[in-house]
Amino acid sequence: MPDIDPTEHDIAELGPKIKDVDDEQELEEMLAMEKGGEGRAPVITLIEDRLEKVGGEDEEVDPSEADLTEMTIADIANMIRDVDDIEVLRDILEREKAGKDRKGAKSQIEKKINNLEEDDGEETEVEYVPPEEKYPDLDHPTNDKQYVEGTVDGEYRDMWVYCETQRGELIDVSREMLGKARELMDTYNDDYDESEDVIAVLIGDGVGDLTEECLAYGADRVVYHEDSRLERFRHKPYTEIFCHMCRDWEVEWRDYHEPRYTVFPATNNGRDLSALVQGELDSGLASDCSGLYIEDADISNPAKTGTPGETKTFGKILHMKRPDFSGFEYSTILCIDKPHRDFHPQGASVIPGSFEIPEAEPEREGEVVEHDTDLPEEWFQVEVTEYDALDEGVDLTGHEVIVALGRGIGDDPTQGIELGLDLVDQFEDADLGLSRGVITASYQFDGHVEQYITEERQIGESGQVVEPDVYIAAGISGAVQHKVGMDESDTIIAVNENPDADIRDFSDYYIEGDLFQVLPRLTDALEEGEFARALQQEVSDD
Amino acid sequence: MTETPTDEYEHYEAVVVGAGPGGAAAAAALANHGVETLVLERGVDAGSKNVSGGLIYAEESAPYTIDDLFPDFREEATERPADEYYIHNVAGRNVKTFDLNDIHHHDTEWCDSVLRRKMDSWLAEQVHGMTRETGGGLLTNVRVNGLLREGGEIVGVTCDELDPITADVIVAADGVNSELARDAGLMDWEEPEEWFQGVKAVVDMDPDAINERFGIDDDEGVAHLFAGDLFDGVRGGGLLYTNEDSLSIGTVFHLDSIAEEKAEPHELLDSLLTHPLLDQWLQGEYEEREYAAKLVPDSKKAAHPSPHRGRLLLVGDAAGQMQAQGPIIKGMNHAVTAGGLAAEAYQEAKARGNPTNAGDLYEQKLETEGVMKKLRPARYRYSRPVSESGLVTGLTNGLLNSPVGTAGLKLFGGLVERAFNSPFMLGMIPDTRFSYVTMPTRIGEVLGTPVTAENDIEPPELDERIGDLTYDVDDPHIEVLDNSFEASGTAVTACPVSAKDFGGGCYREETVQTNGGEQKVVSLDTQPCVECGTCAVVADTHWEHPPGGKGVEYKQG
Repeated sequence: MPDIDPTEHDIAELGPKIKDVDDEQELEEMLAMEKGGEGRAPVITLIEDRLEKVGGEDEEVDPSEADLTEMTIADIANMIRDVDDIEVLRDILEREKAGKDRKGAKSQIEKKINNLEEDDGEETEVEYVPPEEKYPDLDHPTNDKQYVEGTVDGEYRDMWVYCETQRGELIDVSREMLGKARELMDTYNDDYDESEDVIAVLIGDGVGDLTEECLAYGADRVVYHEDSRLERFRHKPYTEIFCHMCRDWEVEWRDYHEPRYTVFPATNNGRDLSALVQGELDSGLASDCSGLYIEDADISNPAKTGTPGETKTFGKILHMKRPDFSGFEYSTILCIDKPHRDFHPQGASVIPGSFEIPEAEPEREGEVVEHDTDLPEEWFQVEVTEYDALDEGVDLTGHEVIVALGRGIGDDPTQGIELGLDLVDQFEDADLGLSRGVITASYQFDGHVEQYITEERQIGESGQVVEPDVYIAAGISGAVQHKVGMDESDTIIAVNENPDADIRDFSDYYIEGDLFQVLPRLTDALEEGEFARALQQEVSDD
Repeated sequence: MTETPTDEYEHYEAVVVGAGPGGAAAAAALANHGVETLVLERGVDAGSKNVSGGLIYAEESAPYTIDDLFPDFREEATERPADEYYIHNVAGRNVKTFDLNDIHHHDTEWCDSVLRRKMDSWLAEQVHGMTRETGGGLLTNVRVNGLLREGGEIVGVTCDELDPITADVIVAADGVNSELARDAGLMDWEEPEEWFQGVKAVVDMDPDAINERFGIDDDEGVAHLFAGDLFDGVRGGGLLYTNEDSLSIGTVFHLDSIAEEKAEPHELLDSLLTHPLLDQWLQGEYEEREYAAKLVPDSKKAAHPSPHRGRLLLVGDAAGQMQAQGPIIKGMNHAVTAGGLAAEAYQEAKARGNPTNAGDLYEQKLETEGVMKKLRPARYRYSRPVSESGLVTGLTNGLLNSPVGTAGLKLFGGLVERAFNSPFMLGMIPDTRFSYVTMPTRIGEVLGTPVTAENDIEPPELDERIGDLTYDVDDPHIEVLDNSFEASGTAVTACPVSAKDFGGGCYREETVQTNGGEQKVVSLDTQPCVECGTCAVVADTHWEHPPGGKGVEYKQG
């Protein structure tokens, strides 16, 4: 009896079990049992497959004694696959020559012998041939690039940080990067006993005013280029200037080939520039990083070490962490030289907000250098002829007075808005706000007030948060989502028909009444300059 | 990564959509079989989108229970065991309590109360660990929004946040409002009578107070059900389960009844919370941690007999696998079983060299393992045309109110209790007011004794309940297609976060002037939406879930 009675098992269970049965006899019995039982076709196939496999193993022949004339070329190829003894193989080859002398068989055997002989040989370093020579027919896209293959064992120093500006000011991520760069290079200089610098790069119109700030946030040296034509970001001149500064510019302090590290912001412009600059400098780029640190790395990839099987330690490697797959996992990107080709600068773009903005130290000292070269006119061939500024929308913050309307206007929405606007007009610095309930309603507004019904005027959790001196809430019940948008106002005046409305709990003045009657009276009182008196008359309590 | 059929997309052997108990079970079972499995969950955390009454069963007859797949489950993820089970038949102040322990313990290995945020997030952690071993993993904040098709065949899923993903098998465990089941044409939102709607309050209570007031120890718990006239004639009932340091108190009603009666679900919940009967447990204290709502499929009508299409297999609520027959309320356990069977079906189909056969095998297994029998009892189908017809209801109603019927009830009070404890009888409970309202009310009236206590607790108003929930508001995910009151007005009352004359809810009734005439319409603000799906059934909407991580985030669930 076999150990397993197939008729007692599902096919899903049999699959894994049957793999352990090696006895042909046992399998035959199982097959008979299944056939005598339910005779399930998939089970029969499963057992037969196994039988074939087990049976096949028995027919194995000893290669050194096999009768080659009885075998096909494929049989021979299979047989010698496991033979590692070159002598045996040579013997087989001789016998084949003496026998049928088939070309196919001989080449199989010879190939195997060759493979084995190669493996035995010492591991030899592959002779390096530049790609242009190795593949002369290929129109290699990097052929015309001066620095590809050009730099081997170059001199690299310093961390260069591109400081992006907007409207004449550093953007936050620039400050964040300077702080991080300072921290990284301080550690770096300690760890490796070096004295390399953080270099801030400013490009634009009037950026000379920002150099002190860059020093204050951690730069040792600020390099800047000013030109009125650089007012907005443009690929060509920005890339050319950056590369000239860090690679071609002959100044006494820059006694190296290229920067060791470059860091850019992963903003729209920063992403553009980082890709172009790193491409021009013939290095790589880890884009959209959220973490950076410098340490040594042990690498065994033969593409980098040059010798298979060898692990080599690369020093001073910038580890660039970036989120992958919606932040599900992080990859750490390393940019490492390989034989016959350097990959420097090691460059990253950094997601804004990834690092803390450091405390500015205004007394920090450093060197400010102007990059004062002529910019060829052809860099400016692309002209910006037209651009849209993002609509700044309605900003309700910073007003002295906000008149806010809620669903209390539902009986006549158009008139409600008109009354609100009338009241707004009575103040020097006031604007109209709305509750979310009004904006999401189906109210039909007449054309002349419709423009006011936009989400931009919404006050509350999903809208704007305002803190005016006076907040007049008319027809607003005061749900917590609205409250968080206005309860820091100095004085809150609520107009509501319902004395149980929540808003009363956090109002300084509460007027019980219909806003369609109360608002015009407030407007009139203001016009006559008697607002305080009118308010006192209206107010019921609180 | 294996060979990809639609090569430009990322491919996994199995994709499981939704990390509730059904999805977790499917993913765990797939991982146990060594299948490369990716689990996608739209919540910021598993459980943040999930609500349930709160009891999970392990049935003796089930081929998979949650603790089979996750051995530490009871230790790590549940609240208290539900050792005792009662139903209270309420008529005004009169209450007659039946002991339902027989039906509760029938076929039950164990039964625990749970809060879904804690339970599902624990499961998700385990699932992540298990599926990572297979080369997959669990991703939160990803909303799967539909099926990827190639030449008309389902080959994968599409997401809001990620590129499409192809898979050899797709397990849709994406809940009651499954967008995949609807995309495949397997489920719809048409008939209110196929659904229940449940609302629930999780009420804070010190463990010692729970022990004392319910007469139990730390490791014990109780379940109470409520039926009768405390819900203004709306067909349904209430529940109260003890958790570790809170109570789950909820009400569940037939959605068609909520719609017809223009009932306000939060008020129905309040009727239960403020009933004098509950004073013995609340004792004048009431602090609500969370208000929640969910749609519940009525498996008798909605459980799909063939819940698969091509590579897509539906599991749990997505397939309508929620057994609610009178006091038998079992959903999560069936989802777990279905998840396990779906995984097993795929594994077997693969072993036989025909993975596309997984759906058929899954369907067979649901039948042979007895799941479908529980979900769609044949006796309900046969008795329904008679028992739910107006004539019979009228007759039995009349009978129950006649002196003969009353005497009968008095004589046979014990018999009724026994009938409640019979799974056979419960399987054919008709969905009429008779079984849910009239009968328990009469039992309460005739057999009950009055409760003398006063319950003066004040549950929070709806705006406070909404205010206490956590939301990450995104663009509206529901669109009202027809905003006339006739088409969509029912949502104003039926939506658990809307109410008549309440401006802070999702659906508001408004009167607009059009060309001199007046028209009643509804407007929608999805800010307070709890994604229950009620309006998808009772109103004319285009309904989708919010993108991954957006919308409501339950902390209790």
